[in-house]
Amino acid sequence: MKHKHHILVVDDEPNVLVTYRLILQQRGYRVSAAVSSEEARQAITNDGIDLVLCDLSLEKQENGFDVIEFARQKDSQVPAVLLTGYATPEANDRAHELGIPVLFKPIDINELLETISALLRENYEQHEATG
Amino acid sequence: MASPQMRVQSETPTPAGKGRRSALRLLSIERTDEIYPVLLEEIVALGHPRALIAKVNFETSEIAPSASLNCSKALLQRFETTLFSMENPLARILHTLEPELVPGRAKRGVDYYHHPLIYRNSTACWEAERARSGKCVAVENYHCHLKLQLQQQVCSICDMRAYAAMAVVEVKREATETDIAELRALIELANRYLSRLFKVEHYQHRMLDMEITITQMQTVMESMTDPVILTDPQHRVITQNKAAERYFRLPEDVSEGRVRAVELNNLLFSAALSSMAVSGTDSSRDMTLVDAIEGDEVLFEAVSAPSFAPDGRRTGMVTVLRDVTDLRRADEELRANYEKLRQAEEVVRQDRDRLNLVIENVGDPIVVCDRDAKVALLDPLALELLGSESGRSTLNMRNQSKLDAYITKFTYSFSDRESAPIQLTHPATLQEVEYDARSGKIYDERGLVAYTVTVLRDLTSVRRLEQLKMERRMLEMEKFAAAGRLAGTIAHEVNNPMEAIKNCIFLLTDQIKPEAGPVYEILKAETERVARIVRQMLGLYRNTEQVGNFDVNSVVEDTLMLFARQLDRSGIRVDRELNELPPALGSADQIRQVLSNLVVNAKDSMNQGGVLRVRTRKARKHDFTEVIRILVADSGCGISSGMLRTMFEPFVTTKGERGTGLGLWIVKGIIENHGGKLKVRSQPDRGTVFSIELPSVA
Repeated sequence: MKHKHHILVVDDEPNVLVTYRLILQQRGYRVSAAVSSEEARQAITNDGIDLVLCDLSLEKQENGFDVIEFARQKDSQVPAVLLTGYATPEANDRAHELGIPVLFKPIDINELLETISALLRENYEQHEATG
Repeated sequence: MASPQMRVQSETPTPAGKGRRSALRLLSIERTDEIYPVLLEEIVALGHPRALIAKVNFETSEIAPSASLNCSKALLQRFETTLFSMENPLARILHTLEPELVPGRAKRGVDYYHHPLIYRNSTACWEAERARSGKCVAVENYHCHLKLQLQQQVCSICDMRAYAAMAVVEVKREATETDIAELRALIELANRYLSRLFKVEHYQHRMLDMEITITQMQTVMESMTDPVILTDPQHRVITQNKAAERYFRLPEDVSEGRVRAVELNNLLFSAALSSMAVSGTDSSRDMTLVDAIEGDEVLFEAVSAPSFAPDGRRTGMVTVLRDVTDLRRADEELRANYEKLRQAEEVVRQDRDRLNLVIENVGDPIVVCDRDAKVALLDPLALELLGSESGRSTLNMRNQSKLDAYITKFTYSFSDRESAPIQLTHPATLQEVEYDARSGKIYDERGLVAYTVTVLRDLTSVRRLEQLKMERRMLEMEKFAAAGRLAGTIAHEVNNPMEAIKNCIFLLTDQIKPEAGPVYEILKAETERVARIVRQMLGLYRNTEQVGNFDVNSVVEDTLMLFARQLDRSGIRVDRELNELPPALGSADQIRQVLSNLVVNAKDSMNQGGVLRVRTRKARKHDFTEVIRILVADSGCGISSGMLRTMFEPFVTTKGERGTGLGLWIVKGIIENHGGKLKVRSQPDRGTVFSIELPSVA
């Protein structure tokens, strides 16, 4: 791998956030962790993000879709994965429309890792094809 | 009574010499047919050349010679005539009954003395004496010198046919008055003896006739199967038939028991006769006799009638014993049957009362109509709706005409049963009530309609009940949903900390000292188990939202699509048969949960691959409500019988570490909350079938 993929992890539970970060770093990814949508936006603005891994329900009225949309304003092709303990059917439908996989907590880590690498590979191949 | 002999002597002059001998000779005769020959001989002995006797045949009215002496054939032929040939002296004299000397044909110059011989006597016969009647034909012939008339020559007392004949004597040439008188005396004497012998012979004939009659009577008596006994006035047995001998005659092989039985029978019998004779009015009496041969006791009815002699004297009794054992038994049976009948009647009466009680307490109006659709019976509730004969309001009449139209149509239809909605107005509340009229027919033995019975079910109350049921079901679902939400909320709260723990454990992989390995493994396994429970609970939370009509088939399709890859990977072929269904009422998400759980279970039971069969169809239950049936069948390892009992309880699992034990518990809860039913059939190593029945939206 020539360059480390940069993954943005967003979760309002700091302890959970830390563990995701550690696991992804262990797998050789460059990881930015954000505990709020505020931090997430900053990270997106400051740096190029290859994938957004985001909890659906964040603090206050914010949610994962806001963060992902923000990220896609910068890079419309950026892949994303939603994590949630519970999703309303509307949220499910919306994720489906946007092509965002939803993983339900408690998450099977292997499944998460597989999903992430698949999305990155897919995106990379598309990138290669287009430009 | 004086002897006839004496009478003869007093009336006739004493015959001297020859005459006396003739008298004695005639007297010694004992048979009528011997009189004429002797008479003829005695006539000839008096010196007359020839004589003959011509007899009257009363049957043919012919007169013909029957005995003769010294007469030629030609002469005899001259005396053949009939009673009606009055020109013939024979017939004429028989009518005058006066002896007459008739001059013969001129050429020969002989006279013929004609003397009629008829049955006559100066005294009446025994029978006439006994009857105290002088109408004895013999006496009548003696006293009255009437002309002989055929029909009169039968005795009115004893029905005896008299005789009539004519003695014809060719008188000797030099005959004097004395000779003629002598001849006359002889013939009259002979006739007197003849009359007596004739009567004796008559008695003898009577006796023979009587013997025949007695024999006939005895035959009749013997041929009677009932014992018949003739007794004298002292109740001594005169005669009895064989049937009676069985009871009253001492048998020949005298055994003591039989003798006693016969003696007792005789005693009983004469006692019965005595008491009947004393009472004078009773003519029958019951008595029990012992059969001397069989030893059985036989119940008899003795019917007695006194017998009388012709003069009215009582000569005894005739008793007929009728075996009434069978009759009495039949009588008893009749009584028993009557009693049975009475009891049956009582049962029927009770049944009827009970039925009436049932009808009164059905709580629905009941109308019974006859074959012409006219009301025959109403229960109190129906009476309220339709009114009685005496008082009927306009509302009652309107209800009646509505019901009439329905019942008339049903009565003349070919169907046995009928049901139809009918709107009637309740007179008390003045509200229109919708009734469900259900009718049936009662047929008579010829198969014709005898009655129709119509029960009116108040549908408003039924509807209200259904509504109530539905509301309760919704409440139950709501409660389940609330429980689910609570569980979900808790799970949600546990979820994040658990996520952290789980991730930590993942991070520690390969960093654990070997001696801590087993502890790490326990930590990992138990955490995963908690994770699964939380996942299941969140699933419950996730799926408790919308309640409404939904299509079961599309839920099935969704579920199967969701699991398609997993099933395919496990080598499981899916065999689906989805039939057209009415919509179901409830939560589609919950049913999806149910199907998911069942599909996952099925998949887990088929490690080596197999077939998953999913079938949906609509069905009609006995009460005609439509239901939706869902079948989920696998060809997996099956469920043990012990497990079948407990599998729906929470936290029961066969999957060990990997299962939560909540799947089937949730399935059952959801189905029951939908007012449905869940059934399971399973055979180890053959597979398991779950069938779900859900109510449809009618």
